[in-house]
Amino acid sequence: MLCNDVFLHIIVIAKKNMAEVTIYSTPTCGYCTLAKDFLQEKGVEYVEIDVSVDQQKAQEMVEKTGQMGVPVIVITKDGQEEVLVGFDQVQLSNMLGL
Amino acid sequence: MYETIIIGGGPAAVAAGVYAARKKVKTALFANQIGGQSVVSDGIENWIGEPLISGPALAIKLKKHLEAQKENIDLFIGKNVDHVEKNDDGTFNVIVGDEVYSTKTVIVCSGGRHRRMEVPGEAEFEGKGVAFCATCDAPFFRGKDVAVVGGGNSGLEAVVDLLAYANKIYLVARKANKEELRGDPVTQEKVFASDKVEVIFGSDAVEVLGDKMVTGLRYKNILTEEVGEISVQGIFVEIGSVPNSEIIGNIVQKDAWNNIIVDTRTQATSCPGIFAAGDVTDTPYRQNNIAVGDAIKALLSAYDHVKKN
Repeated sequence: MLCNDVFLHIIVIAKKNMAEVTIYSTPTCGYCTLAKDFLQEKGVEYVEIDVSVDQQKAQEMVEKTGQMGVPVIVITKDGQEEVLVGFDQVQLSNMLGL
Repeated sequence: MYETIIIGGGPAAVAAGVYAARKKVKTALFANQIGGQSVVSDGIENWIGEPLISGPALAIKLKKHLEAQKENIDLFIGKNVDHVEKNDDGTFNVIVGDEVYSTKTVIVCSGGRHRRMEVPGEAEFEGKGVAFCATCDAPFFRGKDVAVVGGGNSGLEAVVDLLAYANKIYLVARKANKEELRGDPVTQEKVFASDKVEVIFGSDAVEVLGDKMVTGLRYKNILTEEVGEISVQGIFVEIGSVPNSEIIGNIVQKDAWNNIIVDTRTQATSCPGIFAAGDVTDTPYRQNNIAVGDAIKALLSAYDHVKKN
């Protein structure tokens, strides 16, 4: 039981510190696919928004970043948002603390 | 001390890496990421052995192939080489941030990147209408008027990518007429079959116009020097590539376009111990399959160099 409690506790802590990752993408965007592959490989969960079908979200992305290129990766941690335009493995790793 | 250090992450670098590992050459490979320039390609139909594969799918396959050999090669993915130094004893130091890796040979496979137009407004409006990847960003231009600059194969392909979304597509090409275009006939057919497309022949882009976002493009006729203006919300730049050859500095000879000059028999550069392959070289053909073959030549030559010295 104790073991289990400790385990649960760790999960709670992990969830608290875990960053929320959102990726704005289009289906034909190569760097989006590579970015998603990288996140999957590192076991990072993410929410994907396909801006080619969701015009409202596309607009939201343009407003957030002032530009129209994908991928845009938004990392929300402790209420703070960090935005990465394009896929740069080095930068993304740093932002996620990997 | 490594026997060889491979710089790059495209098909050339991966090919050299796989061969190096299998030959048990003591090797390190440095790349920002694995994939190469074809990552942005929607569909590749000339990668031998695959009738059709997407750019990202090819990138992932290349990465898996390289990782399958990781017992015999040190992979530094996500690490960018800053520059290479030549030592007096004929070895080299590869500088990565504040780390120094010494090696007997270097294989430069750092590829190329998009050529910029270098006109006013281009940098200012990058991402704000000025785009370098039609495959990626075309959906943002649904119902809008756009321009594609560059009448080569990549330019024509960009037009095709935009056909599904844009309202009107202007293709700004330096060639004087349709007959002079050199892109794939299949792609040309697709472009000219659409009444959305208008080609502005014999012209160069001279200025990107905009406010917060792109609003237009100014172009100039090469012969008459007559200036014209089109109202567009997007400008896709497809005017070829420039080699990523800065890292090697002046250690090796380069041509007028900064491509590394290689001996095509061995991929040797002017500096003994440094080899190069792929789009960073003065090869006339910028092709994945060619990059791969040339990189294997480079690795085998580097292997010979190590054994002899």
